Amino acid sequence: MTQTPIRLTVNGRIHDVMAERQTPLLYVLRNDLGLNGPKYGCGLGECGTCTVLIDGAAARSCVVPISGCAGRDIVTLEGLGSRDKPDAVQHAFIDEQAAQCGYCLNGMIMTTKALLAINPQPSEQEALAALRYNLCRCGTHVEILRAVMRASGQLAEASD
Amino acid sequence: MASPLSNGAERGSLVVVRTVDEVTSETFVRITADGSVTAYNGHVDLGTGIRTALGQIVAEELDVSFARVVVVLGDTADVPNQGATIASETIQITAVPLRKAAAQARHFLIARAAERLELPPSDLKIEDGLVRGHNRSVSYGELIGSEVIRLELADDVQVKAVSDYAIVGQSMPRVDLPAKATGELTFVHDVRVPGMLHGRVVRPPYAGVDAGPFVGTSLIAVDESSVRDVPGLVAVVRIGDFVGVVAEREENAIRAAEQLKVSWRPTPALTDLADVENALRANPSTPRTLIDKGDVDAAISGAAKPMQRTYVWPYQMHASIGPSCAVADFQDGDIRVWSGTQNPHVLRSDLALLIERPESEVEVIRLEAAGCYGRNCADDVSADALLLSRAVGRPVRVQLTREQEHTWEPKGTAQLVDVNGGLDADGGIAAYDLATRYPSNAAPTLALLLTGRISPEPAVLQMGDRTAIPPYDYDHMRVVAHDMPPIVRASWFRGVSALPNTFAHESYIDEAATEAGVDPVEYRLRYLKDPRAVDLVNAVAERAGWTPRPVREEKDGEIVHGRGFAYALYVHSKFPGYGAAWSAWVADVSVNKTTGAVSVTRVVAGQDSGLMINPDGVRHQIQGNVIQSTSRALMEEVSFERGAVAAREWGAYPIIPFPDVPKIDVLMLPRQDLPPLGVGESASVPSAAAIANAIFDATGVRFREPPFTPERILKGLHGEASPAPQALPAPAAPQLSRIWENPFAKRTGIFAAIAAVCTAAIGLGAALLPGRAIAPIARPDAAVYSAATIARGQQLAALGNCAECHTTINGKVNAGGRALQTPFGTIYSSNITPDVETGIGAWSYPAFERAMREGLHRDGRQLYPAFPYTHFARTSNADMQALYAYLISQPAVRATAPANELAFPFNLRPLLAGWNALFHDTKEFKPDPAKSEAWNRGAYLVESLGHCSACHSPRSALGAEQRNAYLAGGFAEGWEAPPLTSLSQAPIAWSEDELFAYLRSGQSRYHGVAAGPMAPVVRDLKALPDQDIRAMAVYLGSFTEAATDAPALAAKLENATKVTIAASTGARLYHGACAVCHEVGGLPLFGSRPSLALNSNLHSATPDNLVQVILHGITEPVSSDLGYMPAFSNSMSDAQVEELVTFLRQQFAPDKAAWTGVRETIARVRSSTH
Repeated sequence: MTQTPIRLTVNGRIHDVMAERQTPLLYVLRNDLGLNGPKYGCGLGECGTCTVLIDGAAARSCVVPISGCAGRDIVTLEGLGSRDKPDAVQHAFIDEQAAQCGYCLNGMIMTTKALLAINPQPSEQEALAALRYNLCRCGTHVEILRAVMRASGQLAEASD
Repeated sequence: MASPLSNGAERGSLVVVRTVDEVTSETFVRITADGSVTAYNGHVDLGTGIRTALGQIVAEELDVSFARVVVVLGDTADVPNQGATIASETIQITAVPLRKAAAQARHFLIARAAERLELPPSDLKIEDGLVRGHNRSVSYGELIGSEVIRLELADDVQVKAVSDYAIVGQSMPRVDLPAKATGELTFVHDVRVPGMLHGRVVRPPYAGVDAGPFVGTSLIAVDESSVRDVPGLVAVVRIGDFVGVVAEREENAIRAAEQLKVSWRPTPALTDLADVENALRANPSTPRTLIDKGDVDAAISGAAKPMQRTYVWPYQMHASIGPSCAVADFQDGDIRVWSGTQNPHVLRSDLALLIERPESEVEVIRLEAAGCYGRNCADDVSADALLLSRAVGRPVRVQLTREQEHTWEPKGTAQLVDVNGGLDADGGIAAYDLATRYPSNAAPTLALLLTGRISPEPAVLQMGDRTAIPPYDYDHMRVVAHDMPPIVRASWFRGVSALPNTFAHESYIDEAATEAGVDPVEYRLRYLKDPRAVDLVNAVAERAGWTPRPVREEKDGEIVHGRGFAYALYVHSKFPGYGAAWSAWVADVSVNKTTGAVSVTRVVAGQDSGLMINPDGVRHQIQGNVIQSTSRALMEEVSFERGAVAAREWGAYPIIPFPDVPKIDVLMLPRQDLPPLGVGESASVPSAAAIANAIFDATGVRFREPPFTPERILKGLHGEASPAPQALPAPAAPQLSRIWENPFAKRTGIFAAIAAVCTAAIGLGAALLPGRAIAPIARPDAAVYSAATIARGQQLAALGNCAECHTTINGKVNAGGRALQTPFGTIYSSNITPDVETGIGAWSYPAFERAMREGLHRDGRQLYPAFPYTHFARTSNADMQALYAYLISQPAVRATAPANELAFPFNLRPLLAGWNALFHDTKEFKPDPAKSEAWNRGAYLVESLGHCSACHSPRSALGAEQRNAYLAGGFAEGWEAPPLTSLSQAPIAWSEDELFAYLRSGQSRYHGVAAGPMAPVVRDLKALPDQDIRAMAVYLGSFTEAATDAPALAAKLENATKVTIAASTGARLYHGACAVCHEVGGLPLFGSRPSLALNSNLHSATPDNLVQVILHGITEPVSSDLGYMPAFSNSMSDAQVEELVTFLRQQFAPDKAAWTGVRETIARVRSSTH
């Protein structure tokens, strides 16, 4: 099998990856680039734990092969901010304590990021619909919704 | 993980330990000379925030700041063995010695400070580890100095009075969230060690069943040659029924596991779980009486109104969002396993047993995993990783697949609760006789069973007794737990047996209150003697604004509302056990009587947790429990096929999505002066009963078997003949001939007929035989052709899709050898590179042209019409020249195609001359002067090199296009090539613009994306200029009348087919698997969002294309802009795909007849080589 490196731009840095072109982006991000943010959840694009941004849109990296990512701009959770300098969405999730086990957190933050990029002040209904296909098993939905509202500067509306 | 503060940097330290035996002691608290504090606890954080709460306890008792304390959980080398993290007992039980140890250390340090400062201890004040007295101070670190102080944990330690608490009882942000929110290394999934390989396991076919003689003994053979082509494959490991693969790269381990051919003995018939109640009743059991008070039998026979009820709980999943993962490094005498286990010490024993090494050689390093709520596959995967690491001598990371986690996780078992009793003459409970069946055990670590290290005889544990005794003080009461082995692999899951037992208690008392005509809250209070319970029930009723409802009010309308109450004190652990937090619910529901949809709109959840270490943490736990248990009550049920677990992804096992989450009002009773209680599970326990009671209040119908799905509600409301939404039977659609894609073997009946026709034709054909050979030439020089001609030829080659058939997958372009399946056998495409010996390098232009126009090889042999010379014949001379120029200008590749594999008589090439005589028209394309230039251009492109009708026209039994059905739809490579004429089934007729969009980009907003064999066609068309694509669109568009107002029609179709509820298995599969990308108006995701209501494939006469994309996905779209679709063949059974396909047809093409033969299509497509 012939293999030519595939050039990926992840969090602003260029990586030439030697992997088969059909390899899902998720494995390259985690194993070749050592990133922890995107997580394996289902491999079918159903649960959203692997979400990254590709050209600004939410993408389920478990079902996107690296061949489809060449020349595109990929951003992971790590690319948003760090513990010392978290991005506004990360900050809102920490402030609202919007995680229990935290496994789905990556997908929730990245999907929120994608949502706010196209709808900076979503209503609660819009936020719920946008997160409809991100699964959380611990039942952190209430805190997550508040985090989305906080990140969009509308916390008052989210309060009961 | 070892604490970063407990390394050798400190000069001295103070530890509080408990001596286990002469060589072993366990450390609870360590304070080092630099003032840092490390606390050790044997339990682990399962996502509940226990790490934070334990840190608060230690900081409080030690009088240090919270930030100073590092909590180490679960590492077997460091922490005390405190058993499994279960039953909400970390705060209640395992925190007790930790608190005492911290207090003991403080007493010691204060005494020492008093001595040092020459003051009585009562004069000293401590602030964050600094002891102050008058004007002097000394820190803990200074008090320790270079000494190594070791205190034996005492039992009678004075802990702080609650009134002195400053840290405990205050809400504290979780210490783990900043790392998790920014992608730092947190989870066991994130562990990477040098030299690490990737492993995957292959599980046996008895999916999710772990007892029986076939367990560990079913493997026949593993064919290692089946994975020989996987790059970087390191090992295939087989021990009993344990099978695993190890590879350098994860994606290759995945590929090897999928590709590995493993043969298994057939699994004997398993218990049918379609009828859970009878399966549990038939499961052998031993009765165990938990309480027998008064004279139950006499009271029942004397009851004024007997009430015998049965409550059935379904099998449910922990359903962790992250499938389990572990890393193991097997080195001689030093074996390390990084694990997300719930019980590190128990796992260490299992691992030692598995590999026959002493426990002391095994260290289990505990990292966080996805929330588990009980026993999932965390231990299993740890053992898997260890076996694979031992086999290859290198560290191995094993990630279970979603399908494996779903299938094999020990389930929360089904449970059957029978209650016999009734009302006395005063409306009181005459007697309460409860029998509970709970087929579950501790679920032995799978590798022990698969490798035969332990017996597959199921252990019978006493687990059904949790909260089996109701909290009500009935005079005559008997409770019997029928202890029984599991039927499928099952173990503890949040609320264990207490949740189903409480569902029975709290439903029954509600039923009794209704019968007695008494308000259900008031009725409960008559039997509740526990003052804290009474307080809680009253407080929750008040908070919810509960109004007494002695008689149910009849509700009108399609959507009815109701309110239900339930209460529980979660009694857990070995019988008689002890109580965790008290919990009570008021649930509000609305029920749609037409659709059966139940919505839990609001929950008031009250809890008495005693002292709350971290009140915010308690609130999060209550909310989490409310949401998760609402999900369990409304929608969760494991499905089985022939007794094995069938649900392998989220469509088959849905959990609650955001829009369905109720509003939650949490009421936490202030009990800071009372001992802390476990809060991890309590708020789940009243859930299902409160919801069932509310549904009863809304509808007047009692539901005794969760989940309360729309189907079940409709059945309860309307009986078996419920008006389930069904599409009306429509007239049968014409069935297209599929002979072209059907293997001949399946159609033996027509074999003779075809042979006869051919043989008849040969008479005519013989007159035209033979083809004359055209002399070979020296390889022509492409330089005689202009660059423009060659470039034009390249476009034409793309239009003709030459490379598609003449190139193998990953092979050299146009070097031939690709197998083409035809009804008559396998034809291998030829080499059309200019190689002199194996390609067309010796072909003169006349030889090439004759082949293209007449289907004759240079040597005179007849070519098979899989090569569409019937179309190519229509190519103009100039274009033919350009194509020739292009082909001979390409690099020569030496490659001989394999011989064709055709059955008699089709292996006789001369027959084809007869075929040509019958079916081949060699006329060149002639423009129609009545039509536009664009139309004629399009017709030329489509009919000649474009050869569209080769796939899009039906074929006769002899494989010829039916001339009277031009572009009327055909089949190719297992895919339907839909009709391009007015026979098109597309709900919005094709327009020129949509044809252009589709041929140009691979997508039409009103039809969908190109997939299957059409994707490479569109990809190749990229070489053609817009005006050629437009011309093709003009021509093809002339066969249909375009829809007049496509946008309005699209909106109408989409609105009419919105999926609002999930009222069938198929609908749930759609919601879980498809809707994320296909729902109209959803959040934009990378790639396209084809609208199913408009998708031609859903409206087609046959389900083939739909089945193709569901099973095989779209891995090579026309362009990456369109995105990708995953393949579901490994995640859904045939039965599930059938449910899904049937639903999609009914939902999105409601005016079309249901497809027939869906199951056969699925089987055919699944077995195809796609």
